[in-house]
Order: sequence, then C-alpha cells, then structure tokens
Amino acid sequence: MAVHLQAAGSGGPVLSVENVDVRFGGIHALKGVSLNVNAGEICGLIGPNGAGKTTLFNSITRLSAVTAGSIRLCGRAIEAVPARQIIRLGIARTFQNLGIYGAMTVLENVMLGAHHLAGGRFVGAMLRPGRARHRESETEQRCREILNDLNLSGVADEAAGSLPYATQKRMEIARALASRPTILLLDEPAGGLTHGEVAAFGALVSRVRDDHGVTIVLIEHHMGLVMSLCDRIEVFHLGRNLASGTPAEVKANPAVIDAYLGRTR
Amino acid sequence: MSTWNLRYAPASLAAVFALGLPAFAPDFMLFEFSIAVSYGIAILGLNLLLGVTGQICLAQGALFGVGAYTTAILNVSFGWDPVATLPFAAIVAGLIGVVVGLPALRLQGLQLAIITFGVASAFPQLLLKMDTLTGGVTGLATDQPMAPKWFPGSQEVWLYGLSLICAAISIVVVTRLLRGDTGRMLRALRDNPVIAEALGVNLTKGRLAAFAVSSALAGLGGGLFCILNGFISPQSFLPMKSIDILIGGIVGGITSIAGAFIGAVFVVFVPGFTTDIDPALGGLIYGLCLIAMMMVARQGIAGLRIEGLQKAVLGIFRIKGLSRIPGSVPGQLGGE
Repeated sequence: MAVHLQAAGSGGPVLSVENVDVRFGGIHALKGVSLNVNAGEICGLIGPNGAGKTTLFNSITRLSAVTAGSIRLCGRAIEAVPARQIIRLGIARTFQNLGIYGAMTVLENVMLGAHHLAGGRFVGAMLRPGRARHRESETEQRCREILNDLNLSGVADEAAGSLPYATQKRMEIARALASRPTILLLDEPAGGLTHGEVAAFGALVSRVRDDHGVTIVLIEHHMGLVMSLCDRIEVFHLGRNLASGTPAEVKANPAVIDAYLGRTR
Repeated sequence: MSTWNLRYAPASLAAVFALGLPAFAPDFMLFEFSIAVSYGIAILGLNLLLGVTGQICLAQGALFGVGAYTTAILNVSFGWDPVATLPFAAIVAGLIGVVVGLPALRLQGLQLAIITFGVASAFPQLLLKMDTLTGGVTGLATDQPMAPKWFPGSQEVWLYGLSLICAAISIVVVTRLLRGDTGRMLRALRDNPVIAEALGVNLTKGRLAAFAVSSALAGLGGGLFCILNGFISPQSFLPMKSIDILIGGIVGGITSIAGAFIGAVFVVFVPGFTTDIDPALGGLIYGLCLIAMMMVARQGIAGLRIEGLQKAVLGIFRIKGLSRIPGSVPGQLGGE
C-alpha cells in the first residue's frame, strides 16, 4: 500500500522542484523557485522571513496549491496529488509552529504518524478486533522504539501539550519518522532551543539521517547549526532562489551577505 | 493492575446497577428504564459524533424515528419478527445518516447544527406525507416479542433484557472504534483537520464513518423504542426529540460511554420528577435543573463522577497517571 520510491538506483534527485509559482490572491509568494535534493543529503533552506521557505514546504506537502511549475518525488509528479497522499508517498514534515495534538499522549501522537500505513479501517476495527489489536500492538512497539531512539521514552505516556517546547519539537520528528519517510522536511526544528540544546539537536538530526536512511530538508535560522549540519544550502530571498552551494560557498557569496547574513562590520 | 480496575470501576458499577435493576424495580419503572436505554443508544451515537469527532447533529431524533419506522413498517407491512428488524433499522438509519452528514464535509459547527436541525424539523411532516407507508397521523402499532414460557420474569423484564443486549452491542461497537487507530484518527480530525490531513487521515471517510455509525446507533435505539412502546406516530419524533437527545448527551457527559446512558436516564426521568414536585411549574424546575447541571458538572454527570471518584481514591492510594481524561474540551461545537 505504501509507495516507497527509492531514488538510489536512478541516480536522479529524490526531490526536484522546478520553477514553482505560488500566489495567494494578490501576493506572489514564490516566483519560479527551484530546488533539487539528492538522496541521503541534509539540505538547508535559509533566507530572511517572508522569503517563501515555509510556503515551499507547504506546496511540496500540498497544503498550498501550486500555480505553476512542477514538483517531483523520485521522478514522479506530485503537484496534483491530494494532500493526504503525500505522507504515503514518503514525504513527512514537521511544522514551524508545531502540529501536535496536545490532548493526546506522546505515544498517540507518534502513532498517528503511522496512520497511513494500516489505518482508517472502520469495518475491520468493528468486526475484527483481534486483528486490529494485533496491528495496533505492532505499531505501538515500533513507535516506542522510535521514542527510545529520540530519548522520549520517559514521556511516552504524558499528554503532549504538557511538555516543554523542545521536547514537543523532538516528538514531531519522532512522529514524522513513524511514517517511514523517504524524505523529511523540518521547519525550524531548532527554534526555541537553548544554545546547548542546539548542538545536541544537530547530532540528533545527523543520527536520524544515518539510522533511518532518510533525506532531510530543513529550514533553519540558527546559522551555526545550518553551517555545521548541512551538506548543501539553498538561499531564498523574496520568493526567489538567491544562491546555492556548500556552506562555505554560501557564506562567502556577496549576494547572500547583502540579503541575509549581513556584514560583520 | 490496580489502575486498570479503577478505570473500569464506574462502568462496572453502572453494569451492576443495570443488571440488578429487575430485582428491585417495579415493572412500570422497568419499562421506563428500557425506554431510557433506547434513548441511551441514540445518545451514545451522538457522543461518538459530537464528543469524539466534534460534529454536531441535531437530526438524531429524526434518525431515531427512521429506525423506529423501519422496524414498524417491516413488522406491520411485511410481517417480520420485530427483533429481526433491528439490524435493518440500524442499517437504514445509518445510510440516511450518511446523506444527512454529507454537508458536514463542507460545513461544521453552527451551520451544520442548523442544517441537521432542518432535517429534524422536516421529518414529522414527511411522515405525514408518506401516509400509505407510515400510517400518517394514526401511526403504526407493532407486535411485541413475547417472553418465552420458560422465562421466569415478566414481559417487562424480558423487554428490559432485550434493551440491555442492544445497549451492550452498541457499547462494544463504540469501544472497538474508539480504541486504536480509528479512535486516534477521529480525535485527530476533530482537534486539527489540517494536520490530520497532512498525516494521511482521510477526512471525508472519517467524518462520514462517524455519521454512519452514529446514525446507525440512533436507528437501533429507535427500532428498540418502537418495540418497547408497541406504537409509534409522528408525534413521537418531533424536532424537540433531537434536542432532548443532545441534552442527554451533554448532561451525561459527551465524551463518555457510561455518560450516554446516565444522560438518557436524566432526560427520561427528570422531567417527570419535576412535574411531580409541582404540576404547574414542572418546566420551570426542569429548566433550572439544566442550568444547575451545567454550573455544577460541566463535563456532564459521568465526568463529575469519575473525577470525584478518582480524586477520592487517588488521595488514599496516591496512584498517579489517571488524572487525565482522554479527549479534548468536551461540549465544544464543530471542528474548525
């Protein structure tokens, strides 16, 4: 049921966004934006507020409609796929302002990530409870392993809303991983973390990439984290691509310095 | 294991009460309790729909009527055994409920309340218009399933047992739906539909499934009501019936299974009690009762009881981990 497309064999980019335009009424949020992400990469998206980074995530996950251009996942066009199918195709995301269910426990939140794998069987749940329970316990075990992996097992049965912000952010990543993604979109995952937490968080993201074999795209404003963590950085400004390259190249690019990084003196 | 026992204590108490009732309640009282159980099944459906998925349906009384008329017509016109008609009462009401629920895919909250109430208002008139099938104003009188000769109790006890079996089936269906993935999915689409959709939840399917199950339960309750009463007419399914069912749901505890039946007992018995206090001022006293209920027990009677019980018991044994009642703010209208 779950379609996991592997790009490893084809050699092409896992995610390829070409000349995407997004308009909200009179606002032209994205103007011909392109982005290519290769398998196993950690790709950083940076740029000033309003550059269209989150809008790009929203258009990849089909929460915003694309006016023009194409988005391909492992070569397959996804710009017309219904929003709920995106996670099934292997794209999981976290949200800038958290997309968690505060009244549910951490475990329940994470198990929702696995909903698309075997979920939504109403008739089965009513008529074949044994089977439903078996599936449920399998999912629960897998999700507890993920929680363990992200040091969240201690809070698995707490209400998600009662946890500190940083823990909630980590839980959102756990939920994304529970969906068995090919590609993980993290929207400001280090927002609200303290200085010490950011370093530990960077290590966590690389570990997640290695252990789960996912490709990661992250939007982040914490330059120290972005520069140390990402293999490649894409810079956006006013809804357009501004620059792209390795952290060192981007840091040295005068256009990026003017638009975003600023001069030290 | 002690937490497990504690968690199921209120439900066990309710079950013991329900099973022990025939031992001390007189027959006429038992009849009223059976009627309350039939309402309780419809309220249970509403609790699933409103309490768990956050969709309001003010046509629950009409769907209750659909179930009742399905049973009556199958019995009167086609000569079916009344008990055998019950599954069909549930299925017919469930299918009609899906149609009633279609607007819910676009509208939630107050708009949905008005649309469904429109269905409830049209229903009695519709029954009168279809008088070749429904008997019009004169209504339909149905057979009652007779207690077999080996049965030691009275006819009322027999029918009360039938009501309890229907209630037990409904409770099993609802608990199965509420645990595991389907329950999480329904709560997720109530609390935040956008994120639910991003997680792969099929909103259309979830919302309509909730409507279907809720309406099927209303239909089962209605079919049972028809069997218990032995006679139905459009007068039994006026729009106010839907409001009574909503009141029962909220007063009992909109997210609670036991609360559905507690609320049903409330709406069946309390109006009678208040009229007994003062025949002229019954409505006034009942109204004040409702106001007082919401001031004292905002989560409904079931919520109050569970919280109180937990506080008392936890205070003695200092058991943690039970203070949270699953589900978000009960009684709120709509999803978005």
